[in-house]
Amino acid sequence: MPFTLISLLHLLTITAESHGFSGYMYPNEYELQWGLLIVVYPYLTGLVAGAFILASLERVFKVSALRPIYRLSLLSALAFMIIAPLPLLAHLGHPERCLEMFLTPHTKSAMAMFGFVYAWYLSVVLLLEIWFDYRENIVRWSNEKRGIKKWFYKALSLGATSVSPESIKFDHKMGKIITIIGIPSAFLLHGYVGFIFGSIKANPWWSSVLIPIVFLFSAIVSGIALMLLIYMITTMFRWKQISMACLNKLGELLFYAIMIDFSLELLDFIHRLYESEESISILSEMISNRLFVSLIVAQIIMGTLVPMVSLGIARFGRLPDELRRIVYFIAALLVQVGIFSTRWNVVIGGQLFSKSLRGLTVYKMELFGLEGLFMTILFLIAPILILFVLTKILPPWPSDEKAVIRDTEKVVTAK
Amino acid sequence: MKLSRIPQQVIPLTIIFALAIVALVAARQMLVPESFGKYGHYRADAVEEVASHDISYAGIQVCNDCHDDIVEVKQESYHRGLSCEVCHGPANNHAEAPDEYTPGAPRGRGYCPLCHGYNPSRPVGFPQILPKMHNPGKACMTCHNPHAPTLPHAPEECSACHREIASTKMVSHHTTVDCRTCHTVPKDHWSDPRAVHAEKPTDRSTCGQCHATGADSPKIIPRIDIETHGGRYLCWDCHYPHHPEATL
Repeated sequence: MPFTLISLLHLLTITAESHGFSGYMYPNEYELQWGLLIVVYPYLTGLVAGAFILASLERVFKVSALRPIYRLSLLSALAFMIIAPLPLLAHLGHPERCLEMFLTPHTKSAMAMFGFVYAWYLSVVLLLEIWFDYRENIVRWSNEKRGIKKWFYKALSLGATSVSPESIKFDHKMGKIITIIGIPSAFLLHGYVGFIFGSIKANPWWSSVLIPIVFLFSAIVSGIALMLLIYMITTMFRWKQISMACLNKLGELLFYAIMIDFSLELLDFIHRLYESEESISILSEMISNRLFVSLIVAQIIMGTLVPMVSLGIARFGRLPDELRRIVYFIAALLVQVGIFSTRWNVVIGGQLFSKSLRGLTVYKMELFGLEGLFMTILFLIAPILILFVLTKILPPWPSDEKAVIRDTEKVVTAK
Repeated sequence: MKLSRIPQQVIPLTIIFALAIVALVAARQMLVPESFGKYGHYRADAVEEVASHDISYAGIQVCNDCHDDIVEVKQESYHRGLSCEVCHGPANNHAEAPDEYTPGAPRGRGYCPLCHGYNPSRPVGFPQILPKMHNPGKACMTCHNPHAPTLPHAPEECSACHREIASTKMVSHHTTVDCRTCHTVPKDHWSDPRAVHAEKPTDRSTCGQCHATGADSPKIIPRIDIETHGGRYLCWDCHYPHHPEATL
């Protein structure tokens, strides 16, 4: 798992340090207030937004090669969305108080508005779109299945049992409208997470108008890479044929998305260097010292440059399909490591230097406890388990899977 | 519009969303306290509730009214900025009934290090000690009067004020080198450190005392040609004198 790798590397870096901090730190800066759980939160919401944007490409922009993973992307987005706010609740404690956000909305606090952003995205976008997309199947399953399953699907259909051509047409139409609303909503969801960091003007590592945009594109990158991994793994375990056209399209999109994301991050970096504000020297020291492994090695080299080059070769070079699949898989895995490091570098990096700009501290990760490594592993495994259950309830694979793959290959070849 | 012309899917969804909105409105009616929002984004009654709590702290003015002899001493000391209740604890009871209640006073060794225990983020010159090494077993009050904590005589060791440097030097090869080997310390620096500064070395000869090729020092000490080593740089441009093994 990407986070374990990064964490291990960090543990090694920390052990290698002869002391915890250097230079001058204010007393309240020794310990980091935002730990591993806050790293996981933007990572998970990024996966949600990315997976949804990928699904919308098939629906709105008619990228037919992505047909085999359309439903899988929606379910993945839902599975990760359910877990996304939990790291925040675990970090804050008193999870029951989160409902206060709805009862007494504070319109001037970006953090307090999260409840509404989340509720909108979950209920109006994801659940509605999945419901409209699956309704026809749900009605069919409610007729075919027996016992509890029958009643379960009947309840899930909400009594809308009509499968007349008009009804199905209406489902498709609504699905499309919701996707169109969903795209800006997905941008809002993850742009919002970036906005939270970007608007903290007292912190020179975070305070940048580019942060929401960089977050958004890294979300798209991580979402595409996630779907590539999930598609390959699920197909392998089901002993089914994989659609090379779909994989190639995913690889291509991932390649373009990484390029844009990397360019934006480079732009941010050059902009900071050129501006050379008073914080630049401590930030440079932090990058070359505390964040060297997670930023230079994990994020830039392993998580961006290596996957970018290998994806470029695999997609546009003449490689046999078997080798291509392996390259895609490894590249997507590395991208996950890279994006997790990006979140790590933003969240942890922003707290490693003193506001006096004269010292650096060290993040000491807990293993147990609410904010520890094991809790984080739990939050990262939970969406996979939820996705497993969701695919059992709402199988995203067409009954005539081979025919769909054949059609997809044909359409793509014809183009 | 006829009800039959509305698509079937719309009806249950409308009901669910309507129920959710009604539930939210009802929950707001029932759960949001009446006084919420009167002054700002909080429960206005909370202000009165907090105001109705028993007062614990009397405040420095009340202490000063009776204990003017101590105020006089404290006013001349480095503790002049501290409020009495920082060390003595909440003393409103004592202010209201001086004979009935006596405020506590920390007399052991645990309390003073809260401010004076070594912590590298504290400013240079702020008196800091390592409690385990600083006169172990003795209560702070044995030597220091808390109302005028400066000792009648100057500190005996540089580490009393320069604790961070002393701690760094302690783990380096320079641990046995006395500060005065390299620094010239005027006598008045001990009693008035901010007005009279200790002097730092200005040329290579200071390091050369031990590290020059012909220096009269133990053979184990690394030697260099003091004239040519490092070109035009001074020794401390590359070596941190308090921890020369560390890389800059």
